[in-house]
Formats: sequence, C-alpha cells, structure tokens
Amino acid sequence: MELYDLIRKNEKLIFTDSGTGISKSIAEMHQSLEIENLRSVVFIYNDNQLPAIETLLNFYQSRYTIALLGMGLLEDFKENLEQKYTPYYIYDPTRTAIEGYSAVKASDTIILFKRNVNLIYPIHAKTKLLLSTSGTTGSPKFVRLSDANLVQNAKSIMEYMPIKTDDVVPLNVPINFVYGLSIFTTNCIKANKIVCTDKDAFQKEFWADFKKYGYSTLGGVPYFYEMLYSIGFFKKDHPSLRYLTHTGGMLNQKLIEAIAEFSEKFDKQFFAQYGQTEACGRMAYLPPKDLLRKGTSIGLPVKNGKFEIDNETDELIYIGPNVFGGYANIRADLQFFEQQEKLHTGDKARKDDEGYYYIVGRIKRIVKLFGVRLNLDETELLLKDALGGQTFICLGINDKHLAVMYTDQNLNKELILKVLKAKLNLHASSLKVIFIEDVPLTPNGKVNYPLLKESLEVSYA
Amino acid sequence: MSTIEQLHGVFARAFEIPVEAVNDELEYQAIAEWDSMSHLVLVEELESTYNIAIEMEDILEMGSVAKIKDILKKYGFEIN
Repeated sequence: MELYDLIRKNEKLIFTDSGTGISKSIAEMHQSLEIENLRSVVFIYNDNQLPAIETLLNFYQSRYTIALLGMGLLEDFKENLEQKYTPYYIYDPTRTAIEGYSAVKASDTIILFKRNVNLIYPIHAKTKLLLSTSGTTGSPKFVRLSDANLVQNAKSIMEYMPIKTDDVVPLNVPINFVYGLSIFTTNCIKANKIVCTDKDAFQKEFWADFKKYGYSTLGGVPYFYEMLYSIGFFKKDHPSLRYLTHTGGMLNQKLIEAIAEFSEKFDKQFFAQYGQTEACGRMAYLPPKDLLRKGTSIGLPVKNGKFEIDNETDELIYIGPNVFGGYANIRADLQFFEQQEKLHTGDKARKDDEGYYYIVGRIKRIVKLFGVRLNLDETELLLKDALGGQTFICLGINDKHLAVMYTDQNLNKELILKVLKAKLNLHASSLKVIFIEDVPLTPNGKVNYPLLKESLEVSYA
Repeated sequence: MSTIEQLHGVFARAFEIPVEAVNDELEYQAIAEWDSMSHLVLVEELESTYNIAIEMEDILEMGSVAKIKDILKKYGFEIN
C-alpha cells in the first residue's frame, strides 16, 4: 500500500488525542492491532478520535477493503449496510453488541466486532476504500477508490498546499468525508503532529487546543467559516496559523471580503478548493492571491488533472489519475474496479479568459446543506418509505434550503419535518415543506424539476 | 409569560424540542439537538427576542442554559 508506505516514512509523525492527551507515534501504531490476515471488508465508523485513526491505519496496511462511515449514522442504517456488505470486522464503539458478531480485543484499547461466519466473496485487487456518496441517508451506494487514487490526489494537493514538516494539524473535518480524508492523508505524509479532536469552533476547548498545540492550519466548509466569522476569528492574528483551506461550495461576499482582509493583514493564505468523492478529493483550487479578484471561482485544476466543458450541456468534466473506479451498490460490485477516464461532475461550469473555472449550476440531483451533499432522489425515497408511499418532490434552493413538496393534503407538515430531522438530522431552518396541488410534468411524463426549481428560487430568493 | 418561560421558549424554538425538555443542565453538544447549526440559530433567536447584539466572546461562553442566563444578566435581562 503506497499511501501507507508514504505515511510510515514520515517517522516523526505523531497523533495526539485532544480529549485524553494520549499521543502515539506512527511507529507505535504500526500493526498494533491483532487482526486476521484476510481479503475481506471492514466497516469503520469514524469519529476522528485516536482509536478510529489507529484502526484505519492498521486496516489500510493490511489486505482489507475499508468502508469508512460516520459514527453518527442511524443504527438501522448501519444494520442495513452491514447486512448488504457482510463486513468481517466492524469498528463501532457506540454499540455493545451486533447480531452475528462477537466482540474481540484487538489491542489493549481497541475492541472490534468480528463476524461469526466468514463469507468469502471476490473483491477486486484495486478496491481499497469505500466512501459513501451521501453521508447521512444510509444509501448503500459507495464510491470505489484505489490506493493509487489516494496517492495521486495527495501528491497533487501537496504541489500547492504549503504543508511544512513541523506543522500541527487538527482533524476538525470528519475523515469519512473525502475532504477530511485529503487533509488527513496529505498531512500524515508530511506534517509533524495530527490532533484528533471532536470539538468544534463554538467550544472553548477547541480554542484552548488551538493555542496549546499551535495549530498551523484550519479547514472547513462554508458553514465553518460562518462560525469563525460569528466569533470574530478574522479580527485578530493567530500567530501559529499559516493557512486556511475550504471546500464545499462558494463563500458569500461578506466572508470573501473578511477572509481576504484577514489574509492580507496577517499574512495568511486561504485555499478555496473544489472536489468530489468520485475524484478521491480535490479537482481544483484557487490560488490565494486570486481570492479577492476571483472569489467566486473554483480556480485551476490540480496538478495532473484537467477540465473539459461539454459543448452541449456545459457540464464540467474532469480527467485525472484520481478519478474513481465506479460505484458499488451491492456486495457483488466489490469484485470490479473500472478505472474511469473521465468524471462527469454534474456541475455546469464556464471558463474565463485567464483559464479560471466557475461553477454556474448543477445537473446532478443533489443539494449541499451546510457543505454536506444530500442526494435528492434518495431523500424522496426515504420520505416515501417512512410515511407510507406518498409522492414527495425534493429540490435544493440555492444550496441553502431543502424544499420538500407533497401532494397529499392529509399529510401533516410537522410529521414530515420530524422524519427529516430524525432520519437526516436536518434542522427546520434549512427546510421548506410545501403543499402543492399538482405536480408539473414534462412532455414525456416526468416531474418537471427545472420548472419547479425556477419558481422556488424566485419565491425564496 | 414569565422571563423563564420566555427563555425556555427561545431554546425550544432553536433546538426544535418541547419546552418541557429545557432545563439549566442542558449543554452544548451534549444533546443531538444542540449542535453547531442550532447554536447559530440560538444566537439569532436570542438576539431577536431580547433585541440585543451578543458580543463575539460571549458566543463561546454560551455553553449551557445556566451560562446563557448569566450572559443575559450582563445584557440587563434577569431571568427567574
């Protein structure tokens, strides 16, 4: 595993758990877990804490294929995924027992669940990592990634990211999101200390750790920058901090100006980036010097990557060695790895005279709420299943709101909100639940999403 | 409405929980409903209900219902 070898070569790499203060070097974590030497699947429910990281590194250097998922996923979603993919090991400290599994002590500190009956099924040699296409809907659809995908993207990112060998980096973005994963891989290869933390920017402990460890960088989605703004982060210098990174959609003008002023005044760099799970991380970045001039641009493709724009649809297409090996919807799909030449991003784009790219719209049926991708078709299905088969139509409104339309007058709006909150942990402030009498259809009888979207974006502009 | 009922109403709206579930012991990130998203909503609700502008350093101090009561006192609102 080349990625693991690169990390292992960074001999002074140390991981510190901010909660317990425990530190472990990369050498101490090397093959620190007792796991059977099999070619099978492991599910790791991640919370960015040291034991989850140690489990990930142990399985990464082994023959296993890893499905990296969020620890907060609903339990029935977890069980459903486990039934479908029958992992041999499961790391999930939130549960005390799992049917069909026995708890085993893999080390003094780490308990794994091991499957009682080992099922043998083929897994393609390149299929190393499985990431969910949507973090929270519990969909069994995974993106298949190879070790080479991860290595290539880490190398491309390190061409522009000013990582230094004495850097201290907090894991404040979950590594089961591809953006958090790229922060993890690149800094494990080059930086000095990784601080495992589950604190966020609204907690005093986060800022106490920031000072104590001297964070060199912070990263987050636009919403994270809203948080920083609200607590006045950009008003003063933070001497240890050298650079900030971002992904997950455009920042608003107020934030762009605040960050540009902050970077100018205190000599910090800000890297706006564009990426997708299917590209194993980053596809483009905006050089810090261009922030004020081209703040709404996703910038230029990363090294070894290039973009094309489809003549007819304006869809942005990415070509590079970090493009994934297709999706897995069922366990049998693990035996394949189809290296894709091109990635259809589902975003519409344009290119300016200087070669900078701008996202101008979206073809894919997704919305990004708080920087997290939500698949609209899956959400429709989830509501239909939960509420008894009625029709729901979901649309994103300017990446700010999820609009849920229903046609059955007997349905209770409160109930719909409750389901969305329980299943997807969505806050009502980001939801618009709307009753509509008729569903507008296209000439061939499909829901006319563009028409609905247009009217919603006008009403809620 | 008493001042305490009014305040509990603010929490209930921001976190979308029943008003009976609000008590002094509630802490940030200790319940699923009080996360960073609803914290921003809470700040807005408090600002509009009491017609105040909460100082940035106070936002980091707002770690529990009890602490928020102390902070409101600073802004001239005695909750009891």
